[in-house]
Amino acid sequence: MNLLFKRFLLVVLAGSFTGNISAQNAQQEANLKAAFIYNFTKYIDWGPYDRDSIFVIGVVGDSPIIESLNAIAASSRINNKRIITKSISNPSEISNCDIVFISKKCRMPLNYILSKTRPGELTISEQPGFAEAGTAFNFVVVNNRLKFEANLKAISSAGLKAGSQLLKLAIIVDKY
Amino acid sequence: MVKLNDISIRNKLILMQVFTSVIVFGIVFGVFIITDVNSYKQRKVDSMISLAKVLGTNSISSIQFQDPEAARVMLEELRTVSPEIVHAEITNKEGQVFASYSKPGTNTFAIPAVLHGKHYAFTDQQLFVSNPIVSNKEVIGTVYLEVQLTELQQIIQYKYELAFILLLVALVFSFLIAVLVQGYLSTRLLKLVNAVIKIRKTGEITKAVEDKGRDEIATLIQAFNKMMEEIEESQKKKDEFIGIASHELKTPLTSIKGYVEMLDMMEQEQPKKQFVQKTLGNINKLERLVKDLLDVSKIQSGQLQLEMKEFDMDELLNETMNASQMVSETHKIIRKGALLNEMVYGDRQRIEQVLLNLLSNAIKYSPGENTVIVETEKTEKELIIKIRDYGIGVAPEEQTNIFERFYRSNTVAVHISGFGLGLYICRDIINRHYGRIWVESNGKGSVFNFSLPLKHSPSIQQT
Repeated sequence: MNLLFKRFLLVVLAGSFTGNISAQNAQQEANLKAAFIYNFTKYIDWGPYDRDSIFVIGVVGDSPIIESLNAIAASSRINNKRIITKSISNPSEISNCDIVFISKKCRMPLNYILSKTRPGELTISEQPGFAEAGTAFNFVVVNNRLKFEANLKAISSAGLKAGSQLLKLAIIVDKY
Repeated sequence: MVKLNDISIRNKLILMQVFTSVIVFGIVFGVFIITDVNSYKQRKVDSMISLAKVLGTNSISSIQFQDPEAARVMLEELRTVSPEIVHAEITNKEGQVFASYSKPGTNTFAIPAVLHGKHYAFTDQQLFVSNPIVSNKEVIGTVYLEVQLTELQQIIQYKYELAFILLLVALVFSFLIAVLVQGYLSTRLLKLVNAVIKIRKTGEITKAVEDKGRDEIATLIQAFNKMMEEIEESQKKKDEFIGIASHELKTPLTSIKGYVEMLDMMEQEQPKKQFVQKTLGNINKLERLVKDLLDVSKIQSGQLQLEMKEFDMDELLNETMNASQMVSETHKIIRKGALLNEMVYGDRQRIEQVLLNLLSNAIKYSPGENTVIVETEKTEKELIIKIRDYGIGVAPEEQTNIFERFYRSNTVAVHISGFGLGLYICRDIINRHYGRIWVESNGKGSVFNFSLPLKHSPSIQQT
């Protein structure tokens, strides 16, 4: 584990204990979300969709999270695979990812993005109501703390399994 | 401090058995309690480390997703699951508190110094456990538990009480058994000891000590009985020999004495007359020794008969003092005290024998002195005759022994001839008259006393 990632985690953890997310700048929030995404992967079972050699995280829409993800990708591996991040501007690229992060600034309609995903792709968003609308995980801020919603139907229809240790921390939504 | 040698065998046996069983039981109970407590502690440590592991594993995701609330809710479960846990704490890898739980009504938790670098540590009342939280081979936090050991305290107290009670019971039982068993050993030994003491005191060998055992004590008793038998046999033979010898010596001696006395009367020519008289003097000495032996033999066989009749004590005293004065060239025998004017019921000849004996002793044992004093005293019940000399005296440790048969003083430096039978015969004669005989000595001379009951005494009338 290199020094950069250690510093990064320190910042993340220290930040989380100071509590107030809205008071933090956008980059810190992005770092925290990137760390959460990285930790999600430890509890998700990709099953038959576990492709070899690389793990691709696609970011739809312009977001500082891409830098945070790059920092993680530089020092860590997921399921013993190299992490590749990419910013997606062409909808056809959506189906090439293992995780699709839909940022706040995404201008594509959610339904359109979801229709482009293939089974085995984990969708993560960061806007209120998106989990109900069909993304697997959706970041929300509750009492100034970063939490996440989980849509169990979306997870299972994507052909994935989420670990109970993860789901016990999630706010479960049931609508599609 | 009582010396072990001073305690009787009986008590020694009891003490030994009770002491041994207390030590053995003490060690057994001690080991029993220690292993029990240790195994209880080990079980507690094992179960608490397992619990800490489970708590750690279940809080991995909470730490990863920064959700202390979820961890706190999980720790809260301990209240029902494990009420003995007073404090639980999860820290992150920087050591900062991530989530904690305290049993209601307890203080706040601080990680104790004793736990530093260890997985568990005991204090008097608590057990502390720490266990790292590991995710993907990386330590991301630590679980700490503080367990109240009230149950252990109760268990220890209960075990101690139980051990103490059992020890008391064991003590009582071992005492009872010891009291019962020691009899088999000590009673028989004591019987032997009592027999020995009795023989030592009275000098009488009565009958054999009975014993039915076959052990060493039985051997000892048998050997003792055999020894006593042999002693009795040899004593009997000796007495018989003395009896026969003295009797056989006396007959020719009487005849010799008769002829020499005749010769003494007939012979007037010097130095023949002188030789005859020397011979006669030695014959008289020899006759006295033989008579003493004969008396002892009679005393031993119970054949000494007293010829009891009334006689005047003053008269007897005068006669004997004169007779002794005649043979003594060195000492003057002086009478002190008022005349007794008392008739005594007894064997006049035997009392005379006692007086002559005591007077000749007084002269014999005061060489270089020139007086022997005869004092008389009269009380309501008895006459007391005292023969006082200013000679070498009698050592205190010898004052009872000198009346024994064949006893010769060890401390007397002067050589004085005799068998050591005189005082023995005197004692026997005085005892037969229901009187007492004793010696008083304070280093300068000695006083030999004997008493005779007056004739109106009931004990004499009975005879």
